Order: sequence, then structure tokens, then C-alpha cells
Amino acid sequence: MDEKITSLEALQAIARQAGEDHRKYRLRLMVCGSNDCHLTGSNEIIDAFQEQIRGRNLEDQVQVVATGCIGSCSMGPVMTVWPEDIFYMKLRPEDVVELMDSHVEGGHPVERLMYHDPATGQAIAHSADIPFFARQHPIVLGNKGIIDPESIRDYIGQNGYQALYKSLVALSPPEIIAEIKTSGLRGRGGGGFPTGVKWEFCANTKSDVKYVLCNADEGDPGAFMDRRIMEDDPHAILEGMIIGAKAINASQGYIYCRAEYPLALERLYAALDQARSMGLLGKNIMGTGFDFDIEIYKGAGAFVCGEETALMTSIEGKRGTPRPRPPFPAVSGLWGKPSILNNVETWASVPRILFGGGEAYAEIGTESSKGTKVFAVTGSINNIGLVEVPMGTSIGEIIFDIGGGVSGGKQFKAAQLGGPSGGCVPAEYLNLHTDYEAIVKAGAIMGSGGMIVMDEDTCMVDMARYFMDFCQDESCGKCTPCRVGTKRMLQIVENICKGEGRPEDLDLLESLSHTINDASLCGLGQTAPNPVLSTLKYFMDEYRAHIEDKKCPAGVCADLFESPCQNACPVEMDIPGYIALIRAGRLEDAYKVLKRTNPFPSVCGRVCGHPCQNKCRRSQLDEELAIKNLKRFITDHASPPRPEPVPVVHPEKIAVIGAGPAGMTAALEMKKRGYAVTVYEALPEAGGMLRWGIPEYRLPRDILSREIREILDTGVALKTNIKIGVDVSFDDLKANHDAVYIGMGAQKSAPLGLINEDAAGIIGAVEFLRDYTMGRNVRAGKRVAVIGGGNSAIDAARTALRLGAESVTILYRRERKDMPALEAEVKAAEEEGVAIDFLVAPLEILVSDGSIKGLKLQRMRLGDFDASGRRRPKAIEDSSFELEIDMLIPAIGQQAELDLLFPATRIDDRTKDTITIHAGGNTIAVNRDYSTDHAGVWAGGDIVTGPAMVIDAIAAGRKAAISMDRALRASKGEQPWHETEDRIEIPVEVDEEVEEQFQIRIRELPPAERGRNFREVELGYEGNMAALEARRCLRCDVKTEE
Amino acid sequence: MVALTIDNLAVEVPEGTTILEAAGSAGIHIPTLCALPEIHHNPGACRICMVEIDRARTLVAACVYPVANGMKVKTNSRRVREARQRVMEFLLSDHPQDCNICQKHGNCELQQVAGQVGTRDITVPRTDFTVHDIDDRSEALVRDGSKCINCLRCVTVCDNVQGVHLLTPEARGFSSRVVPAMGHSLDDSACTFCGQCAVVCPTGAIVEKDHTGLVWAALEDPSKHVVVQEAPAIRAQLGEEFGLPPGTLVTGRMITALRRLGFDRVFDTNFTADLTIIEEGHELLERVKTGRALPMITSCSPGWIKFVEHFYPELLPNLSTCKSPQQMFGALAKTYYAEKEGIDPADIFVVSVMPCTAKKYEASRPEMNDSGFRDVDVVLTTRELGRMLRQAGIDLKDLPDGDYDAPMGEYSGAGTIFGATGGVMEAALRTVYAVVTGKNLPDLNIGAVRGLDGIKQAGIGIGELGEVRAAVAHGLGNARTVMDQVAAGQTDYHFVEIMACPGGCVGGGGQPLPATNEKRRLRADALYRDDGEVQHLRQSHENPSIKTLYDEFLKEPLGEKSHHLLHTHYTAREV
Repeated sequence: MDEKITSLEALQAIARQAGEDHRKYRLRLMVCGSNDCHLTGSNEIIDAFQEQIRGRNLEDQVQVVATGCIGSCSMGPVMTVWPEDIFYMKLRPEDVVELMDSHVEGGHPVERLMYHDPATGQAIAHSADIPFFARQHPIVLGNKGIIDPESIRDYIGQNGYQALYKSLVALSPPEIIAEIKTSGLRGRGGGGFPTGVKWEFCANTKSDVKYVLCNADEGDPGAFMDRRIMEDDPHAILEGMIIGAKAINASQGYIYCRAEYPLALERLYAALDQARSMGLLGKNIMGTGFDFDIEIYKGAGAFVCGEETALMTSIEGKRGTPRPRPPFPAVSGLWGKPSILNNVETWASVPRILFGGGEAYAEIGTESSKGTKVFAVTGSINNIGLVEVPMGTSIGEIIFDIGGGVSGGKQFKAAQLGGPSGGCVPAEYLNLHTDYEAIVKAGAIMGSGGMIVMDEDTCMVDMARYFMDFCQDESCGKCTPCRVGTKRMLQIVENICKGEGRPEDLDLLESLSHTINDASLCGLGQTAPNPVLSTLKYFMDEYRAHIEDKKCPAGVCADLFESPCQNACPVEMDIPGYIALIRAGRLEDAYKVLKRTNPFPSVCGRVCGHPCQNKCRRSQLDEELAIKNLKRFITDHASPPRPEPVPVVHPEKIAVIGAGPAGMTAALEMKKRGYAVTVYEALPEAGGMLRWGIPEYRLPRDILSREIREILDTGVALKTNIKIGVDVSFDDLKANHDAVYIGMGAQKSAPLGLINEDAAGIIGAVEFLRDYTMGRNVRAGKRVAVIGGGNSAIDAARTALRLGAESVTILYRRERKDMPALEAEVKAAEEEGVAIDFLVAPLEILVSDGSIKGLKLQRMRLGDFDASGRRRPKAIEDSSFELEIDMLIPAIGQQAELDLLFPATRIDDRTKDTITIHAGGNTIAVNRDYSTDHAGVWAGGDIVTGPAMVIDAIAAGRKAAISMDRALRASKGEQPWHETEDRIEIPVEVDEEVEEQFQIRIRELPPAERGRNFREVELGYEGNMAALEARRCLRCDVKTEE
Repeated sequence: MVALTIDNLAVEVPEGTTILEAAGSAGIHIPTLCALPEIHHNPGACRICMVEIDRARTLVAACVYPVANGMKVKTNSRRVREARQRVMEFLLSDHPQDCNICQKHGNCELQQVAGQVGTRDITVPRTDFTVHDIDDRSEALVRDGSKCINCLRCVTVCDNVQGVHLLTPEARGFSSRVVPAMGHSLDDSACTFCGQCAVVCPTGAIVEKDHTGLVWAALEDPSKHVVVQEAPAIRAQLGEEFGLPPGTLVTGRMITALRRLGFDRVFDTNFTADLTIIEEGHELLERVKTGRALPMITSCSPGWIKFVEHFYPELLPNLSTCKSPQQMFGALAKTYYAEKEGIDPADIFVVSVMPCTAKKYEASRPEMNDSGFRDVDVVLTTRELGRMLRQAGIDLKDLPDGDYDAPMGEYSGAGTIFGATGGVMEAALRTVYAVVTGKNLPDLNIGAVRGLDGIKQAGIGIGELGEVRAAVAHGLGNARTVMDQVAAGQTDYHFVEIMACPGGCVGGGGQPLPATNEKRRLRADALYRDDGEVQHLRQSHENPSIKTLYDEFLKEPLGEKSHHLLHTHYTAREV
């Protein structure tokens, strides 16, 4: 039996003793003993250390402590060595000997087991220097990693129970409440109701019996903050509750905890026993005459029991369903008596507030949301774990700075805040402050602090379906809107995911959401539609894609596609099909499959941005398939299907402006459908950006010419050197044709917008590459700078190098990870000697005698997040410097020459039969069927989307042709055209066992041999390499019978 | 008092009033499908009664939300109307659309409220319709979960009014439905078949088992001699089935109607009610004299009998061994009447019309075959008789009065008041007083046992017996209170009357719908009018036909024939 504590001195004596006990040891190895680290093997590590310490007779010097969770769950098992604060991660039992030898006995910490900065690769020894820890502000989690959760002495050692003593002895109940009100503490369980006001309400209700309740029924998917507080710092909760009891004069408390948290329950029970035996709980607490005890009620894990009235009904022994309010629990709660209910995190905050003072607490956070908040950050994020930050920290900071950004290098798409009752916010909201009101305004809620990060591979409709399913499953069934309404909403969303959605479903979902929100009995029902509402608000396009196009852009809704790669391909190439044909050795058939939807397969086999590979499911196993290379292998090793001339069967004449990939594809597709098609090209040869923009070392010209010839061989007419708007007016062209397709691309480099941009030695990337290709006299300077971070910047830099520049530097205003250029291209450029300077932007062009002689540059830092999820560069004052150059290639974007086409059209001029131009004046607006507002005129490619991938241009041409043909036929009352394709049987051959096997790399010209020539760098597969790679395909398109 | 505005009308109501009640007092009828103030039921579950108030973010349920000073309530805004229509749409989307063939057709609150809120279309998916088993295993009630709208009224009436605690919501979310606990059917549970759940059910989810088909078949069978008896309460209820005001006595018109339906003889349960008084009165006297198993408790109410068998088996000896009037009638119809008329009892078909669903169960009890046949062949509720008459095109309102047939049609006012709570007690005390003292009670009206108070007590000095102390309870919840006291030996009652249903038989599980306490009061008033004003005989022992019955057949109260035909025994059952 412990001695009862009845004075501050007694508490402080225990605290001192705890400190001394710790100082006895030279080193304390604080190993995280929480659930996640336990699952990854922390127990084995603790055992191994103990064995080593025993074996080396170090028991008096070194102590191993199993601490509570320190939040860095994806790094586990983790260990911090005190008092040095050296942090180790991803420990394995076999590391223990080395740690003992080198660190414990040798005094040399083991670098290899430390955290490494992902940008620099440098090891960071001290947890205080690791961004994940450094940017947090632990108050509620203040004891994490420091105490043994099972030791009340450790808790007292961190000033535990001193706030209780103060509350019992020095403060009156109104003074306790005043302190909480001063702190600005609001309920951390979801609603955010001011805690002090709630207590005051209850304190003012007259009753002999009152109750203090702790909601530990955490049930949000992915949320574990309350669990961790219970497991790791149970006394903080008890101390908070006793203080609350004193404030309202209650003598009984309950903790309602779900039975699925056995460790939390075990530690709570232990803490209760310890507190009772030391006189901190029960009769006559700390000798002050105040009686209060706590009982634990184990819930069965019903989500609705987190709702306060349902929780109380459940403690009363009845079916846990909510009751109408009013009366509010502060007036009539548990068993009809005044009760206050707060959640675990709120209670655990109370002792800290009383100890440090309400004012100090209120200094943290925002105007309306004070203090800190614990978030459980999960999903597609590198540092999954628990994070405590001051209220007001932006979600971008939590996700990127603390959370380490989106995992797998994927694009951030949305964050689901507040669990199933919350909502998701898109990248535009990365600067959103975590403040109760701000989050609600964005369409989500703070909730209990769940934050699920979703990347580009998340389908938002499917996400809404998941949460809707959760809510309807957890509905108690008491009130109609929640019982039936959530089910009906789920059915509608499920239908949409299955491709059975109807356009009117969108309005219906919104209207149902409002009714369910307005009419449900409790918070569960009222908030259940939020995930649907917020995705409707921010991701309407995805819903439309599912309903109108029967497509799931993220490649999740399995009913809507055959395989994720095919789904991701803008022209929906039958990727598993041609890969299977490679494996079967049927390359001629494979080529036919390629040509079905893509007239430029050998081009795409070299320069495609391959969105298909990003969705390859093999990447979840080892590495995605090299689909691009496999495609190229077919075109390198088989002869293309012979193009047949197509007879003209329609009277309509079609004009195509621009012989780039969009125009040529549109022309071919219209030709196939039996029209007379003429392509007008301003330059001497067809190919557009493929010819003039992409350097030959990436795309040999004969490859391109062959595929263009195959198109022309079908009977498409090509007229080169005719610039529409110069040689022939657009109106004349229109008058002589029944339909016009504009696919003329964006042929001008965007200007930097600086003075002296017309100086000699400055040439845009597009112009530079085109002039060189056309054989004009292009010379590179000695010292060349390229401004930009896209593929054309890399192309220009590598071309300049090949043209004899002594040095080429790419200047980019953001960081490497933000570069839009393909990573492989960036690496290739660096291998060849191109330098890249990041976080820098031009201020001034320095000129001498009309020629450029240098740049005045400015250093940048990263500020707010922009809509792309990247941080906006911000100038650092007084950081300018000069760079001496003699050639400058701006590559910051491209523009179309729209003024040539429509000299009279201005942005605001949107009368009938003119073209609508997007704000900014650089691209044409098209309808969903790719028609413009100008009757009979269609458009696609870069002129509509701005610079994009080749495959996007091909898709644009193809889709426009399909709807152009459909419109022409519809005007004559004819049925749409159907392609009659020769059936090619795709073999089904799947390996029974899938073994880890990374991509088969293609052969490349070594950097030394690339030198200063334009020989193709990538050399493709040879021999059986492609067949081996093809074997890696998992054949997602093959549906197994269930 | 609290002052507020409802739809811009200034309203003043006492503190604690709900918005629904306040609106009602201002003549604004807010629809609801779950709230039922008479049984203190307002779970806020159906969400039909939602209104808009200025101080809430969401709509609030008028049935539970208390008024507050200065509150501004809108009961008829677009937001309210649309929300109600949507919620109704939700309910209907998971409800069989078979209204025209549903037993509750025309009497269904869901149907009425759907009309009131004006839902015209079901736009949400109707697939994934919840299929629930139909529980029709009992003789009395049929439960169809697919028609349940989770209003929880049946749960409250079973818990709070009847104290049986049989029903509970099961499962969660969309599949949630009210069912007997622990996977039981009504048949194998402690259900008393009182039918109060069917009375409060707003839909056809719990209804009486329909036996009209059996009666039609008997009436159409030329070999059957079909006789009918009607419980005392029927004459004060049946009119409501034809739009007559509650409390209209329709005895004569009912007789004509039954005759027109084709019954060979129209008799009256009141006759055997008088007989019950003779038997039970003598039983009481015997027990008081011997001091055996007091208090004696009435046994007319079959729901009550089953309740005791389940919950107070130790008190079974206290129950009067008298069969209920219905069963006495059946036993005599197939013996006394058969002999007297020379009809083979095998050809006699006894139909009774009862305000009660438990009577269906009672008639099916295996021990109710003392005539050598099933004593009562079919039991119809008031509602079923109403349906049969409507099918036959017989409008009660238009009929001339008829007279009962002999020998089982004559009755006293004491028999009539069996239909109201306290009636059996009053009738018994009249006769016991007369038997013991040889004189009539100075005032035959015993006011202390009348009325709707849950538990009533009386003490009457009866000659040499001294004061006979009596208690009357109606509704099984009240019965439980009295029984707990009896079981604990805290009472000195000699005689206790219990009726399972609130108000007694006028509030039975088979009564016309919708049912309110006001209607029950008016019906009871009608029975007391029949006793006090219509019938010239007001004491059971004065009934000449009863005298004839004893002279010709039974010989004496508690005699051998009585023992065989009119008394029974009880069985302890598990909960």
C-alpha cells in the first residue's frame, strides 16, 4: 500500500525522486512500446537490449524503458537515447549489438539507423532536428517518449497531479471554470463547444448528483489519438476528470471506452488503482475531503455511442441510441442527472492548462481556436503518425513539412478531415488553417483530428462511397433520415461507381444530403452526407466522368474499366493485350492492336509521358511495367500494318489546321470514316512539335516521318507552307469546307516579361529547337542559361550542350521535386553535364551593346501552397546576384498564335459564330464534344489545353473526329459509324506464382558516347528482354470467375 | 407561461409544453408518426414533425422540443414541407406499396400522413428492399417487419404501459426493426397477446390475425348451426366502425346486423358475464370464509392470465378458477344449449366478437375443450366484425333494432359493465352483498371502482363478512404494481380485479382505431348508461335466464357441472 499523498511537498518529493532515479543511469534507451511499434517488433528489440545489458553488466548504467507512442509510427520501431536525444528508427533486433558496441559502450552513435533527410540524404541525429518532431508542439502529448505509461511516479515526475492539488486546495470551482474559459479550450471530440462554458452550465444546474464522463469511444476510421493518450498517459485523463469533478461538484465519473482497446483499458485500470492507492482518487482525495471516483464502462464499439446522448443511454444499460436534445446533458444527462462529457484529448488538456495557466495556453493557436490539436495523419503520406501542432497550423504544413509529403512521389489530391462526419478538401486548401471555423467553411470539420491524405490514385467518388457505407453501417436506425436516407445515398453512389449513375443523381444526392443533415436526430446522421457533399463540391468532374463518360479517372472503380493502365491511357490503348501478344511472340498482331487507337505508336514508344505506368498495379509489388519500352519494342521489331487507301464516301470536305499529332490524328480518323480531308501546315513538313520541338536524340526523324507517311497513305491530303491567317484567311478556309478542325498547337515561347527581352542572344526554347531542326543557322552561346523546369527546358538545355555550349545552366524557381519535366529526362541532362540551380528567378536581363551579357537573379524560398499542391516560390529580399551568360533560353511556357487565326476576336468578344477564348487569351474553349462555339469548327490539342503530352494531343484529335463525324451524320439523320476491326485473339497466359522482379532496363547510349551529337540516347529492348518484361504483366484485364 | 410565435401567431402555453402541443393549441396540426403523448412516447424518431425554429441550425422535432420564450416557430415553410416530403419518401421507399390489400387500409397513419405531407414521388432507389419474416405463428397477432417504420410506439406500450418488455429494436441502420427480444416469435415468448402494440402501430406491421374467412366458411356451410356472442364492450364500440360517435350504444342494431350476416342465433356474452358473477361471487365467499388464497383475483382477461402465468406463477392459486364469460359461453353453447335445442354439438359453431386479441389465444388454449369440442370456434375482434359487415354491404347506421335470441341472450346491467375497468368488481360486489345480506346494496353504483385511474381501491362493509377490501387495476403495468405488493404481502385485499388493457375491454387490443383515452372514457360511459338507464335489471343474480340455467342444468353455483364446464386451471410458464 502506497502512502497517501496529501500535500504539494509530497508530490514534489516523488517528482524529485523520479528524476534522481532516472539520473542514476548514464543512458536511458526509450523504446516506443506502442501498438504500431509493437507490431513491427519493438518487444524483440527491448528483449535484445536487456539481454545485452545483462550480458555486459551494464544494468546500473543503462536502462531500457518501453515508452508510449511518440507518433512517428511509419518509422517504427523507434528509440530515443536519453539524455543525448539521439533518435533511431526502423530498428531490427540484429541492430542491437552494433548499437551496444558503438553507441552505448563506444560513445559513437550509429548513423545508419538515424533519420535521413530525404532531400539531402544527410543523417539527422537529434529528434529535435527532425522536421517531424521539430515542427510539433507537444502539450497533450508532452509526456510522449519520456515516461513509462505504467508508472504513476513517472507521471508525477513530469509535474503530474500538481494541477489537481492546486484545484483542490487553492482554487474554488468558479475559479477552475474561469481558468478553463480563459484558456479558450474547446471540445476536442468534434463539436468544438467551449469547454468552460459547458462546465459552467452544469455547475449552475442544481442537483445532488452529477456526473463527469469521458468519451473514449473513438471510432473514426484511421483515428487513434485518444487511444494513444489512454495507452501512454492515462493519468493525465484521470487528473483532468478529477479537476472537472471538483469544478461541477460531481462525485462519480465514467470513462466510456470501446472494448477493442484492450491495452488502453489495461493501462486505465492500472492507473485508477495507482491513483486510488496514493489517495488521488476515491474518498477524501489528497486529504481535502473531496470524494470522487471513476468507473470504466466498456462499450461494444458502436460508432454512434460516441454521440453524447447515445453514450449515456449505453452506460444506463440500454441500447445505445441517441436521445433528442434539449434537455442537454449539462441539465439532464446520465440517469437524468446533470453531466459533463468531454473526450480523452480534452480531459488530458485540462491538467496542463491548470498547471501552466489558462492565459499561457491561450497564447497558442488562433483567435477562435486556442491551444494545440493532435492529428492522426494517415493515408498516402510518408510519415504516418500522431502529430500535435498549434491550432492554426496549415494542413499543408502538417502534410508536407511534418508528414513528409505524399508517399510514392504521387500527386496530392485531397485530405479527409474529421473522419466520416467530416469532408475532404482539395489541394487548393493546403493553406487552410486548422481552426474550427475555417475548416467548417471549407466544407469539413475538425472532428477528433483525423486527417487522411489521398493521392492521385484515389477516386473521390469511391471515397465518398466508402464513408457513406461506413455511416449507413453505423447508423443506429432510430431516426428515418439516417436509417433510410444514408442507405439510399449509398445506393446512388454505388450505382455511380458501377457506371449506372444518371445525370439527375447529382442533384438528387445534394438534395438528399441537405435533408439528412437538416432532419436527422443526432450528429451522426446530420454529418453523414458530408463526404458526399464535399466531394460533390470539389470533385464534380470525377462524378461527371463516372456518370457521363462511364470512366473512373483514378482507375479505382473496377466496373468501369478492364485494366488500370488502359483506363489511364488517353486513347485507351489495349495495353494488356499488346503486352500479352509480345509474350506470345505475335508482334505483327501486337502492332495492329497499337494502331487501332494510336497512329503514332513508335513516337509514343519513345516520348510518351506514359500515365499508364503510374497506374500499373505491379508497382505495389515491386516496380511498374515498362509499358513505353514494350510499345517501342513492337514498333522496332515488327512491320507496321499496311495502310490501305480509304475511298471517299461522303460529300463533306474537312479541313485540318496544323499537321501535329492532334491534327494528323483527326485527319486520319475522318479519313477512315470516308471523308475528303486536307491538312494545312504552316511549316515545310508535317509533325508539329514532334518534329520541331523534340530533339532528334529523343525522337529520330525517320521514325516520325514513317508514321506520318502511313497516315498520308490512306489518302489524307497535306498542304505545307500554308499559314492560315497569312496565306489563306480562316473565313475562306471555312467557306470552302464543311467542317474545320483547329489543331495548330502552341508555337511561341511565352515571354519572361522582363525589359530587354529582345536583346540578341535571347531565344525562346520552342524557337531555338525549331530553328535548329529546320537547319537554320543556330548557334549556342558559350555560357547558356535556360529558365524553366519543364521538358522543353531540358530539351533546350541538352540541345544547347550538343551545339557546343561550354556550360548550360537550368534556372528553376522551385525545388527539384516540383519540376514538371520527366525525372528520367532531368537525370539524363545532369549526366550529360547540364547544371540545375533551384530556387532562383530572373530579375533583370543585363545587356551590353544590344546583346545579353548576364542575368540578375534572385534567390527564392517556398511560401504558401498553390492549387497544384506545390509551394509557391517567394523572393528572398536582398538575395540578388548576377550570372554571366551570353545566351538565354526562356522555357517557361508556350503560346498559340490565335491572333493570326481570328484577328478580330477579342477575349470579351463572344458573339455567335466566333470562337470563345479562355481568359488569358491563349487557348480556345471547347464544348464537351470538342466543338467550338463557332458552328462547324472543332479544336483540340495544345491550342485547347495548353502544352500537354503527345498522347493527349492524339486523344484530342481522335475524340474530336469521332464527334465531328457523329455530328455530320446526325445532321443527315444517319446512324453513328462503327469501326469494323479484325478480331485479334489475346492469349491469356498468367504466371501462377509472382516473384519479385524489377523492370528490365532498356539499353542506353552511355553519357560519354552521347557527347555532342544527336544520336538517339535510348536504344530500346533487344532479344528476349521484352518478352521477359512482358511476363511481369499481372493481366489485370483478366477477370477471374468468383 | 411561455410566449412564442408559431407561424406568426402569438401563442402562450405553460412551460414544458412541446412545440407540437403548443401548435395544436393554436389549431395548427403538425403531423407525426411516432409521438404518442398518451403513452408518454416521444422518441423524436420518425422526424415527420420537424419544424423550423429561429435558434437552431437544423430542423427540430416538434414532438420533443420544448417551447421557450420568444421562440419563433415555422411549421409550414418550404424547408419544412420539403424535408417532411423527403423523410416520408424515405419511409415509403422501404415500405411495401401494397396499401390496397393491407389489413390497415383506410386506418393506416402512414397512409394518412403521406397524404398530408404531400409526397408524390419516390425518387430514391427502391431496390434493396428489406425483407423481414412475417411472424404469424400465434393465434392472435401477426407481425410483418417490412411494414415497421421504427416509430417504437409498440416498444413503449409494451415496456411502459404493459410492463411486459417483450419488444426491442434489433440490428442496426437500414436493417433495424422492432422484434421480440432474443429471436423469439410472439408465439414462443412471454407475449400476452393483449394487442396494445397493434392498437398503437401506425401501419400494418402488427395486426390481429384475421379470422373472418373461417366465419364466412361456417356461415356458408349448411350443416353448421352458427351462433354468435358479443362481449359487453362491443355494443359501445362497433358504431365507430361505421362513423358513429364513440360511446354510441348500438346493441339492437348490432343484433340485426349479425342476424343479417347469417348467424343462426344471436346470443350475448353478457349472459355468461352474469353467470360468471354468480360463480365467482360464490368462490369469493368461500375463500373469504376459509381464508384460502386471498386476495382472489379475477380471471376474465386472457392477456392478464398469460401475464400471471409468465411473471407471477406463485400467485396462480389466487386467480379465480372461473373461466372467462367467453369460455363459459362456449362450454354452455355446446352442452346446455345443444341439449335444449336438440342439436348435435358437433354441428354447433360458436363465434365470439371480442374487443380483444388475447381472446383469440384464449379460445385456442388446449384446456378450453370441456364441452368435448373446442368450446369457442372462432374469435373476431370488433374491427374484424366491422370488416365483415362492410363486405356484406351492411351499414350499421341504417339498421333497425333487433332482439337477442333465447336462452343465452338475456342479461343484466351488471353483465354489461364487465366491459369497463372496475365493472367486474362492481357487479360482483352487488351480488355478493345481496347473497350475504339478503338485501340490495343501498347504492348499486360503486363510484370508487369506476374511471381511468390506474389503480383503484374500495372497501365495502358486507354484513357478517365485515369490510371487504377491493382493488382494481387496468393495464399490465399497473397490474404489476399491485401484484408486487400482493406478492410481498403488503396488501389486505380480499378481491382484486385486473384487466390487461388500459380502460378494460373498452380499450382492448381489438377495439376500433385510432384509440384514445377519450374514446375509452366515452365507451365506458355508454356501458354505465346501459347499466343505469337501459337495463331494468342491474344485478346478475336477478337475471331470469341465469335462474333457468341453474334450475335446468347447472343446479347450483360451484356445483359439479359448474366445476366441469365453467372452471379451469392455470399453467406456470417461463419468461
